[in-house]
Amino acid sequence: MRAQLFRQVLLLLGLAFLPAIGQALYFRGDPAWQAPPADSGQVSLAQATSWGATALWIDARPDAEFARGHVPGAMQLNEDDWNGLLPQVLAAWSPQRKLVVYCSRKSCNASHAVAERLRHEDSLTNVYVLAGGWEEWQKNHK
Amino acid sequence: MAEESQVTSARRWRWGFAVRLLFAILVGAVFLYAGITKVSAPMKFASDISNYQILPWSLGVRFAFYLPWLEIAVGLALIFQRLFLGALALAIALMLVFLGATIWARLQGINIACGCFGTASSNLTLTWHLVIDIGLFVALLGLALAQKGRRASDR
Repeated sequence: MRAQLFRQVLLLLGLAFLPAIGQALYFRGDPAWQAPPADSGQVSLAQATSWGATALWIDARPDAEFARGHVPGAMQLNEDDWNGLLPQVLAAWSPQRKLVVYCSRKSCNASHAVAERLRHEDSLTNVYVLAGGWEEWQKNHK
Repeated sequence: MAEESQVTSARRWRWGFAVRLLFAILVGAVFLYAGITKVSAPMKFASDISNYQILPWSLGVRFAFYLPWLEIAVGLALIFQRLFLGALALAIALMLVFLGATIWARLQGINIACGCFGTASSNLTLTWHLVIDIGLFVALLGLALAQKGRRASDR
């Protein structure tokens, strides 16, 4: 039984390997092999800060992290309570304002998810994700 | 009397087989769906892997090309009951890896979308991801136990 199991596992691992190799060869020229692709909807902290009062800061982190600290004037909007938090954001939004969504750090995904929903579900324009997130803000505001 | 007991045990066996088959198809379908949703956008999946901050990008991107195909192979094997033992073992191993990564991300306070079903899961919170993973893991353990019981009764 053990030999049969081992044989089957190896066979499945091998079967998956073949199309994966083919696909990797198809993508071989993609620069993303070396580094993650850049996000066109991202904005640096320096640029977002330069927008001044035009920027509407959106904190996409969970409640507990927001309570511990956030960008002054930031509004909370996360996926845990999307319907409850969205109205206040929509009330503060105007076409002239630029929404800067952030989460914990460079690699977190919540800000991207929130920005995507604001762009597609609520058809908002000028929605950006802060590169480096809250970590980047803290580094520059000590 | 003996005949009656034989009929009862045959009926029980048929029911057990049907339930086991249904679970195998359901779990296999989830694996198949998870693989298909990710296979067309390997670089997006590489970003999702990178968000967990466990693997360096260069290694994560290689996994992003391999893992969806492995999920598809495991899913098909579970659905069509071919290489079943191997598929079951791999599915359990994969679930352990996914569960470990999710719990690790939670402990690190990383708030990320799981990426388990490609863009279809971009709105899935880490908690929901954990619930789905645990459900699948329990179903797989049930299948493994049923398989073991079946082998024992065949002997």
